[in-house]
Amino acid sequence: MRLPPVLRLVARNFASNLDPLTIIIRFGQPAITIVVLGTMFSSIIPVSVTGGTSYTEFLVPGMVAFQMITGGVVSGNLFWLDRRWAMVEQIFSGPFLRAEYLGGLVLTTLLFSLVGVGVMLLVGLPFIGLPALSPFRLGAVLLTVALGSIFFAGLLISLGTRLRSANAYFTIQSFLQLFVIFLSTVYYPVTSSTPRVLAAIFYANPLTYAANTIRDAFRATLGSSDLVSLGVLGGLAAVSFGAAIWGFRTMDLGPIQ
Amino acid sequence: MEPGAPVLQTLDLGYAYAPGKFAVRHLSVGLGRGEVLGLLGRNGAGKTTTVRLLTTLLPPTEGTAVVLGQDIRTGGRELRSRLGVVLQSESLDFVTVERNLTLYAFLWGVPREVAKSRAEEMIELFELGPARRRKPWALSGGERRRFQVARELMHDMEILFLDEPTVGLDAIARRRILRYLRERARGGLSIVFTTHILHEADTLCDRIAVLHLGRLIALDSAEQLKRQHGGAREVSVTFDHPLSAALRAELVAELARRGAAVLPPEPSADAAGRVVFQATTAEELLPWVTRWSQERGLGVDRLSVEAVTLESAFLGMIEQTDEASADGDRGASASPSLPEGTGGTS
Repeated sequence: MRLPPVLRLVARNFASNLDPLTIIIRFGQPAITIVVLGTMFSSIIPVSVTGGTSYTEFLVPGMVAFQMITGGVVSGNLFWLDRRWAMVEQIFSGPFLRAEYLGGLVLTTLLFSLVGVGVMLLVGLPFIGLPALSPFRLGAVLLTVALGSIFFAGLLISLGTRLRSANAYFTIQSFLQLFVIFLSTVYYPVTSSTPRVLAAIFYANPLTYAANTIRDAFRATLGSSDLVSLGVLGGLAAVSFGAAIWGFRTMDLGPIQ
Repeated sequence: MEPGAPVLQTLDLGYAYAPGKFAVRHLSVGLGRGEVLGLLGRNGAGKTTTVRLLTTLLPPTEGTAVVLGQDIRTGGRELRSRLGVVLQSESLDFVTVERNLTLYAFLWGVPREVAKSRAEEMIELFELGPARRRKPWALSGGERRRFQVARELMHDMEILFLDEPTVGLDAIARRRILRYLRERARGGLSIVFTTHILHEADTLCDRIAVLHLGRLIALDSAEQLKRQHGGAREVSVTFDHPLSAALRAELVAELARRGAAVLPPEPSADAAGRVVFQATTAEELLPWVTRWSQERGLGVDRLSVEAVTLESAFLGMIEQTDEASADGDRGASASPSLPEGTGGTS
């Protein structure tokens, strides 16, 4: 049976670019963070700081949100490598549309993020127990991660369409990753004692909205603010992916020399 | 598409990479089914741009092209699914050679069993056996190029575009690939082939399009191009006995009248019986020389004509075009040396 072009591209993305070691490292790093950081900081961070839960319970939703970065980076790097090694041009010389290639990247991102969410939940299970996620709340978690992944993938693909140096791409990618993770509420909450400037930066960061929404879903406290968060994430994802589409349509398909 | 119709026809095709700056302009060329068309030209002549235009990777900025009955502007996926393209740049996936072949076939929707047997065939044909379990970055330059061609042949196609497919290949591998392509062309596959190795084009191509500074300056068979643009060739005639001064003077004058330039005799033992001249119409002069010598009771011991190569013809065409440009003789449209009607298929 001949699969639709998008699915063939997704299968190819997984088969050609994702070696087992990369996958282990990508999922292993946040899993280790939960185990090590969660265990160590739970004993020194008072529950009053983390909203009445242990630090590990605070951290697990953060690491689930972190999967939007993992998925986004996978897609961004896949695209960059395809461009660097002239596979973008080679694929477009075949029976594929640009929209299908981008669709394949989005699906790859989402699949990767969703698998990541599953792994984080499995690793977090012994520490926080099975969170009582109703289908609605689980849906909110998955939607949040999906929108966040699309945002980050779009950001990196846009960069990839413009940059011509591997050094520049990977330096900016690492910097963005660091910035987005550490200036978000993945590891620590924004409290009344957080400096205003930092708090403002935190709230300019989509990962903050994702982490907060997922945390509220885990705590069964989803409310209107989360709806706003999802709206913000959705808007940012649309803008970021719109930029990726524009970059993609206007870039030279040829390889980077 | 009507039977017998060209599988590819361009009309005044052009691509400007910036306003007024054309990589290709006024390209009118056709390709018949089972025909091999060579694109020759210096670096930057527009060969790769032409391939990218015809395979829909670049949108033309002027003119039209119909490939397999479809306009390249609108043919899109349906058109590309009938083409094969080996691009100049090396492209690869980060898996073994064998997996690359089957993965590429999968992308093209080739059934798994067909892909497996075709991969074996390509590995054998392109001598990739020792490299089949290696990843592409561990291959030599020649192996990588063979791999690129092999991978493209994993799927079915009606026209194959090859942009310098034999770069870095040794003579044996090159000959093997050219022979295979020739066989495929006999089977009906149309091929557009760019190369800098002129001998290859001479061997493989039914017709050759010469591009210079983005324009088509000649389009014909290799033989015709050699005949038309090969320039003066050296002809050496050795008579069975020495020529008298009067006879030599008569021959020199007659040859000069027919456009040949007689070279001064070399200081050798048989110089008195030998005449060496350069002529662009060497073939036409030979019967005349034979007749002239018979009429004067002379026999011809040895006759040699310098072989004209596609390279000398190519260099001649480029020089002629450059000279015409320098004289301000560059026409607004097609090429100075493009014979009338050569835009069609042969």
